[in-house]
Amino acid sequence: MKKLLAILLVAAMAFTMVACGGAASSAPVTSTSDAASSSAEVGSEPVTIRFCWWGGDSRHEATQKAVDAFMAKYPNITVETEFGAWTDWETNVATQIMAGTAPDLMQINWNWINSYSADGSAFLDLNTVSDILDLSQFPQDSLAKCVVGQNLQSVPVSMTGRIFYWNKTTFDKAGISVPTSLEELMAAGQTFKTKLGDDYYPLVAGEYDRMILMTYYLESIYGKDWVVDGKVNYTVDEIQKGLEWLTSLEEAHVMPTLKKLAGDGAESIDKNQNWIDGHYAGIWEWDSSASKMTKAAEGQEIVVGDFFTDIGEYQGGFTKVSMGFSISANTKHPAETALLMNFLLNEAEGVEIMASERGIPVSAIALKTCKEKGLLNEMVAEANGKVMAYSKYNLDPTYEDAGLKGNPDGVYYKVMSKLSYGEKDAAASAADLLAGVTEVLEK
Amino acid sequence: MAINNKVAPKAGKEKRKGLNKLERNYMGWVFIAPWLIGFLIFKLYPFASSLVYSFTDFHLFKGMTKVGLFNYIKIFTDEDIMKALWVTIKYAFTTVPLKLVAALFIAYILNFKIKFVNAFRTAYYIPSILGGSVAIAVLWKALFRDNGLINTGLAMFGAEGINWLSEPKYALFIISLLRVWQFGSAMVIFLAALKGVPTDLYEAATIDGAGKWKQFFSITVPMITPVIFYNLITQLVQAFQEFNGPYIITQGGPLQSTTLISLLVYNKAFRSYEMGISSAMAWVMFLIVMVLTIISFVSQKYWVYYGDEDGKGGK
Repeated sequence: MKKLLAILLVAAMAFTMVACGGAASSAPVTSTSDAASSSAEVGSEPVTIRFCWWGGDSRHEATQKAVDAFMAKYPNITVETEFGAWTDWETNVATQIMAGTAPDLMQINWNWINSYSADGSAFLDLNTVSDILDLSQFPQDSLAKCVVGQNLQSVPVSMTGRIFYWNKTTFDKAGISVPTSLEELMAAGQTFKTKLGDDYYPLVAGEYDRMILMTYYLESIYGKDWVVDGKVNYTVDEIQKGLEWLTSLEEAHVMPTLKKLAGDGAESIDKNQNWIDGHYAGIWEWDSSASKMTKAAEGQEIVVGDFFTDIGEYQGGFTKVSMGFSISANTKHPAETALLMNFLLNEAEGVEIMASERGIPVSAIALKTCKEKGLLNEMVAEANGKVMAYSKYNLDPTYEDAGLKGNPDGVYYKVMSKLSYGEKDAAASAADLLAGVTEVLEK
Repeated sequence: MAINNKVAPKAGKEKRKGLNKLERNYMGWVFIAPWLIGFLIFKLYPFASSLVYSFTDFHLFKGMTKVGLFNYIKIFTDEDIMKALWVTIKYAFTTVPLKLVAALFIAYILNFKIKFVNAFRTAYYIPSILGGSVAIAVLWKALFRDNGLINTGLAMFGAEGINWLSEPKYALFIISLLRVWQFGSAMVIFLAALKGVPTDLYEAATIDGAGKWKQFFSITVPMITPVIFYNLITQLVQAFQEFNGPYIITQGGPLQSTTLISLLVYNKAFRSYEMGISSAMAWVMFLIVMVLTIISFVSQKYWVYYGDEDGKGGK
């Protein structure tokens, strides 16, 4: 019996080691060039590939429809889809990347190529499948943003930046036009308070929104990127000025305090009753979020705002890759996966179904197709056009590091909430922000 | 036929003998093998490996090197982690006593022969069935937000609304209240214990002139101390593992006033992928719970009554 017990325990332990060690042994160690050369051409044998993305219902429906069209066109390729909401999506995919079980094709957030594949081991170098994936449709500067570890690890689906959206219905109610300058915005705060009441604000911004808003403000004044060569490009005094400006927005009744926002008990601004019913009449949001924010405030007129030119002499605001498509370095079917990627990004059939579900396409041919067929969401196109024309600064991928934008222990959250709650003043908050960001950059 | 009749019983006997031996020596292990394998894979291996990781700077995407006690030193010098530990202790020491008192009080009332007692028992138990459900946490959030049902109710009586979720001094209490409200399972255990208290003790006390309160504190409570002790330990462990409430209702805010250590463990492990420090935090939490449990076990000889002479509860 002892023998059997020993055998059972050893077997169970071995099984444990195999099960848990499997992840490590199949970790993304495959050389990207090997992966590509192993199947350089699309075969005719039946293959199955996996494709994952996050998003809302409309994106799910459009993408699934496009995938169905792809499978109809290439009947030997079966595509298994995995999709869901953004919440905890990154954790899910990151774990799969780590375990070497990531889907063949992935919709990724731009900073993932730095976070998970700084050495180029997680994602396939897309240059190796450029005979199938038409990279010439993408501007070189946008492709350059996706090169990490000397590999082209992703292709940008769309570019994005932040811009103001205003609830014109509420501004009309207050008897003023939507602000086109900082001066007008500051004046709107008092107008809202006196004409509409204490609980009406012309702008609302959460912790991370405030960080991006402050970056826009500082870029407009000082004319430089937030991070350069892995170091914060602003002095503590300059950051203090930005934080003081944020405080002045609260004091002038331009935006509610974070305490007020926490009391609203909403998960995000688009789910906040005060945005839905127009009590909060402005947001500083990604251009690609127009549909979401407009849909939330149904029955009210939401318009795309203009950048303020009276903040400073520079055109503040940054642009970044909104999201990209990447191929797993572990894929056994790089050619077929690249074929699917090309279908979704460049081929008319796929592009027409996908339209602007992932923002305004970066692919030249996709943009042309969408414009000719009138497939672009007008508001998204307007917002994206303004952002791309105005914002002149670059974003360092670490700007979105979990240690910075994580809630509740990310640096941005802690600094912004302590400042807004009055627990720390602008000078101390600036020092904390600079130290916190520097620590993350040095990791 | 005659031959067959002779052979068949012999073969059957041999077969039975074999099965009996297998049953006696091996079958037990075979039956528990699924559990054993599951335990090794999903409990023991993570448990042991997390201890190893806690002495490294293991990052899911950056590899691992040994750092000795660095993570443990960091835990006790990092302002955020220490604050989270303190918040967790405050949470546990608020929630557990309140929950036990509420459960015992309601169980005591429901032990009387009153009309619709079964309906009341069911009603009070229902919140426990809902457990750590996300839906209940969302409902809680809706109740306590600035324009939620609670403040609306207060306004009807002319009272000013309270910033339950956005005021650091109230937010943790609201999270505690959610778990206190779910006292049903502890209540059912108390109810079973109350049924086990001999009625002759009450009869004798009544004859001696003891009132209901006197009987409660001098008979009921001492007689059910083993169950109080059991509930104390289980609720304490649960409280230190609380996650859903603060994660959904306040996301750890405002000003990290509801950031329990479990939230930090999750964030460090699955958002920052820093498994080393995260494992160390989990082990510190484990050690705290273990120390509190040991203290409770040691203290039981002073306050837990097992009804036998040596106080070892049936041993």
